[in-house]
Parts: sequence; C-alpha cells; structure tokens
Amino acid sequence: MEGFRYIPKKQLFDCSVPLTGARKLFVWDGVPEGLPFENVPSLDCAVDFGISTRVERIRYAPKETESVPKATVIVPGEEEITQVISVRVSPSPLLERTVIECAEKGKFNVVLCSHTVGQERFSTKGRIEIHVGKGASLDLVVMQNENSLSRHESDYRIRLEEESSLSLNIVTLHAGNVTNRIHSLIAGKKATCNLNGLYLADGQQIVDTDVVLVHNAEESVSRQLFKGILDGNSRSRFEGEVVVSPAGQKTEAYQANNNLLISETARASSDPHLVIYADDVKCSHGSTAGSVGDEELFYMRSRGISEKEARILQQQAFAGTVLEKVAHPELRERLSRLVEKRLRGEDTLCTGCSKRCC
Amino acid sequence: MENLLEIKNLHARIGDKEILKGINLVIRPGEVHAIMGRNGSGKSTLSAVLAGNSNYEVTEGSVTYLGQDLLKMSPEERSWAGIFLGFQYPVEIPGVTNVNFMKTAVNEHRRQKGLPPLSAAEYLKMMREKMAYVEMDPSFSSRGVNVGFSGGEKKRNEIFQMAMLSPRLAILDETDSGLDVDALRIVANGVNRLKTADNAFVVITHYQRLLDYIVPDVVHVLYKGKIVKTAGKELAAEVEAHGYEEFE
Repeated sequence: MEGFRYIPKKQLFDCSVPLTGARKLFVWDGVPEGLPFENVPSLDCAVDFGISTRVERIRYAPKETESVPKATVIVPGEEEITQVISVRVSPSPLLERTVIECAEKGKFNVVLCSHTVGQERFSTKGRIEIHVGKGASLDLVVMQNENSLSRHESDYRIRLEEESSLSLNIVTLHAGNVTNRIHSLIAGKKATCNLNGLYLADGQQIVDTDVVLVHNAEESVSRQLFKGILDGNSRSRFEGEVVVSPAGQKTEAYQANNNLLISETARASSDPHLVIYADDVKCSHGSTAGSVGDEELFYMRSRGISEKEARILQQQAFAGTVLEKVAHPELRERLSRLVEKRLRGEDTLCTGCSKRCC
Repeated sequence: MENLLEIKNLHARIGDKEILKGINLVIRPGEVHAIMGRNGSGKSTLSAVLAGNSNYEVTEGSVTYLGQDLLKMSPEERSWAGIFLGFQYPVEIPGVTNVNFMKTAVNEHRRQKGLPPLSAAEYLKMMREKMAYVEMDPSFSSRGVNVGFSGGEKKRNEIFQMAMLSPRLAILDETDSGLDVDALRIVANGVNRLKTADNAFVVITHYQRLLDYIVPDVVHVLYKGKIVKTAGKELAAEVEAHGYEEFE
C-alpha cells in the first residue's frame, strides 16, 4: 500500500456521493483543507459541585492529554450539511483535534467521517470538542470506517448551553480497536443531550465506549442508546455514568446499552450507572446482551426467507432503533445501506466510491 | 391424480415426550382436510413437523410432498416448494416492518423460481390486492411484523401472507382461535378465495365453527397422537354434538 502516498490525495479518496447540499471538506492526517487550522483554547467542560467528600471535592473533568494541538475549526452554517472527511494516509501516530462551534440559536447538521487508506497499522488519538451555544441545536453523525489494524481513541468533549440540544450518533461501521470516550456537560437549563452509538464488530475487533454525562442545570434531558452487534471474537465494553449534580433538579436521564452476540465467542461487557445528587429527577438505565430469537427465525424461514437473510433482517432491525435517531432522511438511508452491506460482509464503501480504504 | 402429501406412520417427539404415534394421511390437490382434536392430541405438533420446526424430532415414518422427502428439507425449502403454515401464535418481530418482511419472502420465492425481484411498484400493487382479501388496512404494512396487532389482526396477517405466497399446501393451525365472528368470516373468506383445484388446505381446529365457513372434504379426529376416525364433513357436526369422548 506504500504506493498510495504518491497518488494525488483527491484521487485517493473521493467521497462522490453528494448529500443534499453537503459542504464536503477533507482533513488529511489531521491537517484540514479549506478549514481554519488554529491554536484555540480547550473547551471547558469540567464541573466542580462544591460538595466535598472526606477524600476530595467532587469534580468531573475529562483527562488532560499531554498536549493540546492545533485544531480543525468547524463553524457550521445553517443552510447545509457540513461533511468533514478525515482520512489517515501516513502510518505515523497522530494527535488530531477538531473543534465544532455552534452559534447561538442556530440549527446545524454535521457529519464527521473517519477513514484509513490502506492496510497500515494506523494509530490516532483524536479529540473532538463540541460547543452548542444557547438555544442552538446540532445533529452530529460520526461515521467510523477504518481498517482492522487501526487503533483510534476519540475523546469527545461536549458543552451544552441553555435550551440547546445535541443529537450525537456514532456509527462504528468497521474498526480495529476503537475507543469512544465521551464527556458531556449540560451547563445550561432546559438543554437536551442525546448520545447514541451503533457499533458493528467481528474478527478480533474491539470497541470501547466510555460515557460521562453531567447534568449541572435544571430541567435538562439526556437519552443514551448504545447498541452493538458482535460477531467472531470481537469484544465490546460499555461504561456509562450519568451524574446529576445538586443543581440538576427536574433532570430526566435515560441510558441503555444493548448487545447482540451473533457468535459463541463474541463478548460484551456493560456497566451503566447513575450518580444522583439531586432529589427531583427521573432516571433509568439498563443493559442487555443476548442472541437472536429462534422463534422469530423459524417464523421467517417458514415464509421462505433463508436463514442468512432472516438473520440479517433481525440484525438490521436491532440496528434500526439507533439509526432512526439520525434526523436527516438521506443520511439515515445512506447509513442504513452501509450497515446492511457490513452485515452482509460486503465492502463498506459508499455507493460510487471505488477506493479501498478499509 | 398425484398425491400432494403422503404421511406414513409418522412418529415425533419433543424432548422425551412422544406426541405423534403413527400418523397416516394422504392429501390430494383440490382437497380441504380438517383435523380436529383436543388440546394435547398432537394437532400443533403435526403442523410444526410439517413446517420443519426443529424443536420436534421425527423418530419414525415418512412424509412425501410432491414426490420429495419433506423431512429432509429446511423450513425455507418447504416454503419455496409451496408449503405454508398459518401459525396458531404468530410471532412478533419488532423492527422488521410487514412490508420488508413480505417483500423479502416474495422475492426469495421468485429467486428460487429464477424470476427477477418485484419492483417497488409491482410489490405495492400485489400487496394492496392481497390485503383487500382479508380487509386489512394498508397502514399495517409499515408496522413491525405482528407487533401490537390484536389476535384477529395477527390471524388476518397470516392469511394475507398466505395470499402473497400462494402455496400449494396450506396448513392452518387453529386459525380460528381467539377470533370473533366477524374476524372468522373475514379469515374464512380469504381462504375460500385462494382455493383452487390445484392446491389443498389442512385446517386444524377444536371446533366446528370455522368449518361452517370453510367446508372440508374430509374430517379427521386426532386422539393421543393418532388419527382415530376419518369421514366426510358430517363428522365435524358429530364431534361438536358429542365431544371427543367416544374416541377414548
């Protein structure tokens, strides 16, 4: 795959299926084309409750990384979908940073795709900072489609202001070893934070999800739905913590992690939990791991649907409850098609893309 | 005329429990057979074995369908060959819409016959036509298979599916259970519309009620895993009047 580096980048990876009016931007090994690449301060999403335990004051903050690199700064416009395609080409380890700034009261749609080109052992540490301004709403889809050797750790840092809303949908279509670590702070009242994830893994793939979501303002709502379909010897781990601070009265928070194990050797571990310091809240959490229902399978087969097709239908149905959270219809449809291809064991390239990137 | 189905000395069990203890039955094209019997007599086991449910183990005997060894075929192969089982308890499949479910089924049947898949418009036309057979509202097509359907709606959905797949041999397992008179009439009308000289029906029931609408050519009484009496449609009335005691 060495030869890839001598081909003009534009030809190397051409995302040729246009979304309706999508503004398409590329980031090559962390360096953007057509977007600002700047030193910007880190997004503040730490919170200190002012409660002291015997051991320490209660503070929820994301882990600091060794350095804060320059960032690709995305200031989405309201008129269109902003699609940022981040491609790894060179095998040297990379620290990549992306900042999404949503202006007050705007309504935004952003898609972040991450790809690897070739079969190198890529290693990426990413940090995605998302600030949703007062009254703004952001629909953010993250599509991860990387090769089986790649290691990708993504740190999401989110801050939601008053009456803002975020719908983050992470679709891990294909990856080697991926960690999605999400730290989200609801800083303003009446904000809504929806975090959803769908991960598909097989072979020796590993998908970890780590969520800390802090309600630090009144009347805010959060909903989390993370689902995995695991085949082969793949592994998934989910750790989720919802924290309601003393300031988070009238919080509603729901968290669920469901896993479908389609081989005997796939494993899922799940640890959702709630930490509540307020007294007037509605919270629930839960997790499941299981295999497909035999009764359903027999019913479908008795109608002439082959066992393979029946299993794919069941898996699509399982994935569907996450994909339906993607608000944009064409984007949702396109993701569904990619998920179907993945479940069928076909190349997970978008229609029209001829490049073998993963 | 060639037999559609020939069951010889069929024995089957679930776990350690033998339920079918030597069934013999011949079905020819154009016939409607009714199988009556008490709970636990083996009616549902017989239909499950014919559809290929792997929870049941056949220990003895043979089933020949159109000259082929039916017991060697997978459930989907049986469906492709023209066998249809109307479930007593239709299964709910959340997240799979009725339309997606039946479209997949119809197109798999077509693929087996070497036909191209139906276009969306062709499928829609066919679906609407068959839904009308059982007075089913088209809005059902976008709902999850049987999810949140009432008992009667589930049974209508079974007959709709049957109409979509036009089987040679349909086995209706207690399709009448849980139906009120109106639903019963709708379901029976659906069945009667699908009847031809070429296909056959096996109607499994406790009661005569359904047989007032779907008139059988032959009635069998199943008792403790064996067919103990076979006669014309008058047998149904006899069973209704005197119960199953005389067969004990």
